[in-house]
Amino acid sequence: MKHSKSLYLFILPGLAIYLLFFVYPTINGLILSFSSWDGFSERKWIGLDNYTRMLTGDSIFVRAFQNNMKFMISVVVFQTILSLFFAILLTKNTKKNVIYRVLFFFPTIISSIAVAFIWGFMYNPNVGVINSFLGNIGLDALSNNWLGNPAMAIYSIAFVQVWAHTGQMIVLFVAGLQSIPEELYEAVYLDGANRWQAFRNVTWPLVAPAATIVVAYTTIQSFKAFDLIFALTGGGPAYSTEILSTYIYHTAFQSSEFGYAAAQSMGFMVIIAIVTIGQFKLLRGNRAY
Amino acid sequence: MKKWFSATVFMIALAMFVTGCGNNGNSSKPNENSSAPSKSASESPKSVDNEKEVQISFIHWRGEDTKVFNELIAKFEGENPKIKVEMSIFPSEQYLANAQAKLIDGTAGDVFASYPGAQFETMFKAGLYADLSDVGFKSKYTENLIKAGQKDGKQYAFPYQLVYNQPIYNKAIFEKLNLTPPKDWEGFLALCETLKSNGYVPIAFPGADIGPGQFMNSMMMNNNTDEEIWAKVETGQAKVTDEWFVKTLSQFKELNDKGYFQKDSLGTSKDIAGSLFAQEKAAMLATGSYMLASNLALNPELKQGLLAPITVAADQAVYEGIHTTTFLLGVSARSSKKDAAKKFVEFLSQAENAEKYANETGQLVTVNGVNYSTSELQETVSWTSKKTRFHPRYLISVAAIEKAVTSSIQEVIGGVDPVKAAENAQKIIDQNLKK
Repeated sequence: MKHSKSLYLFILPGLAIYLLFFVYPTINGLILSFSSWDGFSERKWIGLDNYTRMLTGDSIFVRAFQNNMKFMISVVVFQTILSLFFAILLTKNTKKNVIYRVLFFFPTIISSIAVAFIWGFMYNPNVGVINSFLGNIGLDALSNNWLGNPAMAIYSIAFVQVWAHTGQMIVLFVAGLQSIPEELYEAVYLDGANRWQAFRNVTWPLVAPAATIVVAYTTIQSFKAFDLIFALTGGGPAYSTEILSTYIYHTAFQSSEFGYAAAQSMGFMVIIAIVTIGQFKLLRGNRAY
Repeated sequence: MKKWFSATVFMIALAMFVTGCGNNGNSSKPNENSSAPSKSASESPKSVDNEKEVQISFIHWRGEDTKVFNELIAKFEGENPKIKVEMSIFPSEQYLANAQAKLIDGTAGDVFASYPGAQFETMFKAGLYADLSDVGFKSKYTENLIKAGQKDGKQYAFPYQLVYNQPIYNKAIFEKLNLTPPKDWEGFLALCETLKSNGYVPIAFPGADIGPGQFMNSMMMNNNTDEEIWAKVETGQAKVTDEWFVKTLSQFKELNDKGYFQKDSLGTSKDIAGSLFAQEKAAMLATGSYMLASNLALNPELKQGLLAPITVAADQAVYEGIHTTTFLLGVSARSSKKDAAKKFVEFLSQAENAEKYANETGQLVTVNGVNYSTSELQETVSWTSKKTRFHPRYLISVAAIEKAVTSSIQEVIGGVDPVKAAENAQKIIDQNLKK
């Protein structure tokens, strides 16, 4: 079959949008990353200085990366396990299950700023409902300075992220679980398998492609969880919740170092790419089925 | 092949056209010599009565002043029917980020407000301020209160507000317990202990947001009286690991360890700390005079005063408090409506308008001849005769260093040893030293 070259014209609108809104800003950002620019005066070309500074002379960048990893691991582990657990319970399309799925999905459609406002109030150590509730049931010892304790704050925000996005992942897992043929379960139970063995040998291998998507999506989502952290703690106290995206924002818009912020963004892009590619490689084996 | 070639050429042309339309930091060619603003900028405001109607943009961050500014703008437009004022308000934390692009391309901010210190310096370097040295209304301001808007002997902006960045105290509680503002550190600790033993939170400290950056000023003002100290820290001539700053951090730790801040102060925001104070659960509020009006709105019965902790022996104290002149009103050097913009600044500089602004917002102003009608403002104005120091934190011009300093206070309150917290801050400062 002979293709007409004019067919390529059909990709032009999409290509134009891609070039303008993705390639051009990325290249512009890359060029900016080799400059010193305060956002007002003229740009000054400084070669690799921004990258040298980022890799060898910026302890906050390292700390932000560490916080990112803490946040990402907490969110990926708990969000994946919880969403799979609830998806298994809610696989069948009964009326009750659909209602539960809607309820679990509901936080996903609330804006991050509204979520931050709600949880900021709940976590408040002086007037928040969590500490009040714990106090009222005699568990005062468990009350905490959820967002003000530097050792605790990042995990408190990770909990909110899990709360807000588990419903979204449940939907992906339910779709994966519903595609597993019922006959496989009948066969494995006929062979005398218990529920755990059925999960291990049927459910998990066949839901693995959905798990791959969930893990990859959750990873990227947690790396870029800017709005929630910005609205809840702004990166504090004492950098304890500063992640790469909030740090880049602070570098650009508080320190007015746009060139350095662009270099940090490039580093951030590379980190996300490495983590995502690594995950895909690790989880690729799951696609054997 | 011909079609493919044509399509490629079209694509390149489209891309060049669209990118050419965008604004680029370089393309706008800001005043290359920022200390030499355009000539027209320094002329006196001309009459615009015979010209066609113009609309000027006024940008600032004070959402709480919306009502009074709307009233003042309505009055201004009544007096100047050919000039319309469009006000835009951006949140203070994102003010620079939001205002930046608009100010650069001159599409907004014919009149704009800015903070003193680092923000004023950045905007000045970018050549954004029109020279206002020769305007007639300069004489309406108190001369020694408009220095924050000066550079190289010229006036580029007029600080409109006079703020005292030191704790507010509840006069009724102090009177009830027979307490007076102390003269030294031992007296301050004794005062806090008395308040605590009588069931009050001695100091409501908004440690989650503005607290460290506000309270550090009065806590350090007598520990290091050198007004150039932060400039020295920024250039490596002084360090925060030096005795004076470790002492300041240790004093923060002492206040925290003795329970003189409310529980979990690092999780407390400005609003919550303000409500603890307004409910009279806390006897002091570690913010500044800018919260007097909002406290009163929450509790009209409050009787408030200002004090500052003296962190040294009484005979070593040099300063009694901290002041700032802020909300710097400037006219954009890139505005095409400078005359109308200057007319609006002139209008705000008139005593009767400044008086309305002051009395309705609870802020002192730098304009002469203003009568303050509220007891809070009268209390605050009494501080103009005291020996106060300009807000030290505003003299830190590198934002990363400022954040390292305030974070060290949060670290200490979070349990880190003051020496270690100072070392952590110094490490970040060393990475951001001014070259």
